[in-house]
This record gives sequence, structure tokens and C-alpha cells, in this order.
Amino acid sequence: MLYGTTGKILHIDLNTSTWTVEELGEATYRLYPGAKALAAYVLLRDLPPHTEPLGPDNILVLANGVLTGAPLSTATRFTAAARSPLTGGYGESEAGGFWGPELKFAGFEAITLRGRAEHPVYIWIKDGKVEIRDARHLWGREPHEAQETIRGELGDKLIRVLQIGAGGENKVRYAALTNDLRHFNGRTGMGAVMGSKNVKAIAVRGSGKYLDLTHDSKTVSNLGKQLARRVKDHPQAWDLQDKGTPGIVAGLNASGILPTRNFRAGAFEGVDNLRWEAYEKELLTARRSCYACAIRCKREVEVHDRYEVSNQYGGPEYEAVSGFGSNCGIDDLQAVAKANELCGRYTLDAISTANVIAFAMECFEHGLIGPYDTEGLDLSFGNAPAMLQAIEWIAHRHGIGNLLAEGVKRASEFIGGEAKFFALHVKGQELPMHDPRGKVGVGLGYAVSETGADHLVAFHDPVVANPNSLMFKSVAPLGITDALPPRELSEKKVRNYFIMESWSSAGKVTGLCYFGPAPRSFIEAQEMTDAVRAVTGWDVMIQELQQVGERAINLARVFNMREGFSRKDDVLPERLYTPSEAGALAGVAMDRVAFAQALTQLYAHKGWDADTGKPTRERLRALGIEWAADAMETQSI
Amino acid sequence: MRVHLGGHLNWYDAQKRAWLDVHIGDALSLEQLLQQLGVPAEEVGVAALNGSVIELESASVSDADRLELYPPVSGGSS
Repeated sequence: MLYGTTGKILHIDLNTSTWTVEELGEATYRLYPGAKALAAYVLLRDLPPHTEPLGPDNILVLANGVLTGAPLSTATRFTAAARSPLTGGYGESEAGGFWGPELKFAGFEAITLRGRAEHPVYIWIKDGKVEIRDARHLWGREPHEAQETIRGELGDKLIRVLQIGAGGENKVRYAALTNDLRHFNGRTGMGAVMGSKNVKAIAVRGSGKYLDLTHDSKTVSNLGKQLARRVKDHPQAWDLQDKGTPGIVAGLNASGILPTRNFRAGAFEGVDNLRWEAYEKELLTARRSCYACAIRCKREVEVHDRYEVSNQYGGPEYEAVSGFGSNCGIDDLQAVAKANELCGRYTLDAISTANVIAFAMECFEHGLIGPYDTEGLDLSFGNAPAMLQAIEWIAHRHGIGNLLAEGVKRASEFIGGEAKFFALHVKGQELPMHDPRGKVGVGLGYAVSETGADHLVAFHDPVVANPNSLMFKSVAPLGITDALPPRELSEKKVRNYFIMESWSSAGKVTGLCYFGPAPRSFIEAQEMTDAVRAVTGWDVMIQELQQVGERAINLARVFNMREGFSRKDDVLPERLYTPSEAGALAGVAMDRVAFAQALTQLYAHKGWDADTGKPTRERLRALGIEWAADAMETQSI
Repeated sequence: MRVHLGGHLNWYDAQKRAWLDVHIGDALSLEQLLQQLGVPAEEVGVAALNGSVIELESASVSDADRLELYPPVSGGSS
């Protein structure tokens, strides 16, 4: 008996408007218990290498984790995965909200979209029944209009709608998916993939109950109540509720690692206008939640002042505050909120969009692009109206926006010259707003991440820097024994990184948000394990979950190796090897030799070949996925 | 002096204040001040005194200062 999941994957063929249902066996599900693991497994199994990312043959996988939909705070996430149009490698992004749980209640653990519909459609799923409906009247409409129309047509206001806006329709390479207008699968261009399939939206509604799927519903229910009660008693969980992610702006600035003007500096002179106190005063109207989550870290904002900002699309997270703020040299929080709203409205990844605009601003500053290219728009750092105009142009692929919609890697190659030095990306994906010059493990994560630069592949160095801190104590069960300074790049740091990367991946696979598990938040490693035990009935231990996390990473790594990636792609942008220009880390740069050495050490921990970066057959066998070694050998270039 | 408890550090203040005006009289070591405020020193990741990052162990503070304290999640000092 399979618990914690419906065990069903819905495969939809858009070419023929037909679908089939695959039933997962328990042995398979225990190896790939959802989300990232299940998505990577399906892609590696079903998607031939070198498939055109925006062609009909790409497969978009939407997959829940085993805990997604449980009455446990932060158990809300689902994964969107496909070959990425941004990187050409494994693309993946997680979102919370309500859509993933509703899909499970409707009877499916995952969906795959294959082929391309003849005209725009939306998919309607209710309690195991599937319908493909005409969406020509929705194409070109903004998400709040499309959601309202779909709910009206289907006669149910509680239908959860996952959809794309203009960014996805126009195949911006970093277009996002949104559900309930406020929750995003932001990274790696999954919105463009859905747009390329002519799918506007997937609407779901289910009457199933998660606890009916569980092996031990009483334990799950009790754990959920315990966690909900603990939020106010746990400093970090309480902080996430009180301030959310925008609360970290001032601390990063003081530490010299608040990305400023395209990562040239780590401190911003206008930070007082961006920090949490300003956000609370100028923007905040409410705190919102994802499904069954007591943390409520989502911000709602509304502005009727210098800019008009709707409250429909959610408030800016830290990434947007820094990305559209300090990293574009802008100290107007209302402009930042407007930029964030536009990204929600057009379903653009706020991280990549902000990074792309900072890149364009630096190119403009150096004369690599000029007023002739920008229709007279002054794209100087600090020009908030120009930033907002650029977002409009990107979403609609107008003028220079058409080039910027390709991402910084392609745009820099087109512009040529020194533009490549201003393109802050790894494997084609733009850097998030975390500076590895001040937390070197984040740099390791950026480099080896299968999706390109990603700040959520591991926990950040400072959380395990003090041996007496709450955070450090929480990672002892994972096998971390050494508290190390954030900038120490040593073999011990590499070991810490490896352990935390696997655990972070395990969190994704189970469907927990990054703000659930310790050390970042309040769910202890043993509690997370107990939750999986109670849900599934498996005699799972922490070590098995660590292996689940590592297995998922290796599947995605094999996917990339098949596409021709290698160690040469695990590199950081040159800017990180140049000294930061201002702030507490002024004059500090990454050490190139030490970083290369650390990468080799990390490969050794991971069981990857030191020269090529390929996972070895021995490691894949140890992880129970030797078939992936065969796939890598027979299908690679 | 003006003290900022950033990130989760203001959870330790009974009134959950992010900014406090504290009168300390004679100069104190930073560790003594943290004790007085009830903020565990091990939860402080970075401290900035009048805009400059300082070491927790060696710093002292006086009434004229502006002190900002942040937890590790917001960054790190070394």
C-alpha cells in the first residue's frame, strides 16, 4: 500500500488532446518520493537529450512532494521541471501557494505536459477527471483577469489556477509560472516552456483529504499542531512571520554583501530607504500564508502614491528588494514594489529580470548600448522609471527588451566586447542577490547547481558559523561538527556544504519550503523525518532522506552531462574574483585557486570525476540509480 | 544609545522592539550590553557600531553610539 501520495502521474499529450495515467509502484516512489526527485526521474527517463527547450517535444513536469498538502506548516511546495530555455540544462523551480496541495486532493501526484496544442488551451482537472478547454479568449489577458474568468466559467471560486502571463506567452527565457497570482515557480524559464505548448493555465480542484492518504494520520495531525503552536516561540520562524525575507536587507548591507550596482559593491548608500522599517511603513498592508502554513511569511503591499501598486500580486521578497533596489542603484521602495508587481503581472522571474536590468545599466554606463538602442531611454543606474519601462519591454519583447528577454548570457554574447564581464550568471542563469565574496559556500552552490546560479541549493555559511547558536545546534543530527567562519573556504567547509546541500535537496523532494526545515527555520531534522515516517509508514531515518536529496541532485546532474555540460560549466562570473568596491568587504574578492581546489574536493565528496564532473557509476550505483549511468554513457554527446 | 535588534534578535526583547534607546551611563563591553538586553551573544552574527563592523568580543559601547545587531542569517562578520 502506497501512503502519502495518490501514486498517479497524469501524462497529457497536447498534440492529440489525450491523456494517460501512470501508477507509481512503492519501490519507485521510495527512490523518488516526489517533487525534484520525481521530476528529474521522469525527465531523464522520458526526454531525449538535446530536445529543443521551446519546441513541442520538451516535457514540462509538475510534481508534488510526499508531504505536499499535509497539515504541516511549509508543506506546500511543488516542482516545475523541463529542459530549460535559459540554460539548456536541467530546469527546475519550486513554488508554494495552494496549487500543489489542490492537485493532490484532485487525485494526482504529478502532471506532465507533452507536445503542443493547436491553439491556446487551459486544462481543467477535478477529482481525477481531465478536460482540455479552449483558452483563445484568455491568451493575452493578465493573470488576475484570466483567473477570475476561469473560476467564473467553471463556477467555483476555490479553483486553484496555475498560469502564465505575457512573459510566458512571449517566451521570455526566464518567464515564471504563477498560482493564486502570488506564488511563483520563478527560475529557469518554466513559464516559457508552458507558453511554448500553448497552455495558458492549469485549473485544479479536489475533494480528497491528505490525512486519508497517510499511514498514521494521528501523528501527522499532532505534529502539525505542535509546529503551528511553535511559530511564535521560535525566533527564526517568528521573524519570518514578522518581517519575511525583506527583513534581511540591512544585515546583509552591514555585512558588506548586499549586491549593489551589478555586484560591484556590497553596501548601498540608499539602504535606509530599502530596509524593513521602510518596507513596513511604506508598503505593507497584510501578512499572508500558503496552504496550512502558520508562518505566514508572504507580504501583501499596496501603494497609491509615486506609483500605483496593486495588492493582487503579492509584495516583493528580499530578492526583489535587493535586485530592483540596491543592485540597480535605486533607493525608492515604491518603485521596487512596482517592478515586483510587473513581474507578477507578466510572470517574469523577478531575480533574473532584476539582474538583466542591472546588466543593461552597466552596459549603458560603459557605452556598450546607447540611447539609439534604447529608443532614448536613459538606462543609468538609479533611474527607476527606466527600470520599469525596461520590464514592460522585456515582457512584450519590444525593442531592446527583445534582447534582454534572452537573459544576460545571450545578451552579452550579442553585444560583445566587455559585456561578458557584466553578465552575472552561471550556466546562463542570472545570480540571485547573495554575494559569495562574503559567504563562500554560496559560491560553491552557484557553481555546481544543476540549474545554474541558485541560492536555495544549500543553506548559507553564516548559519553554521557559531557553535553555540540555535542554527548550528540544529544541524548536528545531519553530521555537521565544525562551526566555520562564512569566508573560510577549507576542506571542512566543503564537507559542511555537501551535507547541507543534500539536506536542502531532501527538503525540496519532500515538498517543504526552504523556510520550514532547520537550520533556516524551525522544523528539526528528526521532525522532518518523523513526518515522512508517519505519512508513508516507511522506516525512514535521517540518512535515507539525505540520500534521497543526493539522489535527486545526481539525476539532475546526469541530465546535464547528457546535454554536454561538464566541469567547465561549474564556474563563477569574473566579477566575483574582483574586489568588492564598498562596504564591510571592500577590497575582498573570491580566491580563484582556493575555489578550484574546493570544487575538486566537493566533487570527491559527491563521487564525481575530478576532471569531467561526471557522477561516477560507483556513486550512482550506491544511490540506487545505476540506470542513470547507462543513460549518461549511451546518450551523451 | 540607539540599538537596533535586526532579524530575529528582536524576538528576545519582551516588547519585540526593533529599535531601542538605552541609557548605559559608563561604557560597557558589548557582551555586557547584550546580557543587559537579554540577547544571547551566540545569536549575533554581525554587529555594526556607528556604521562599521566590529568584533563582538573586543568592542565596548557608550551612550553616544548607534549599534546595529543582526543574526547570522542576515550575513556574517568574518
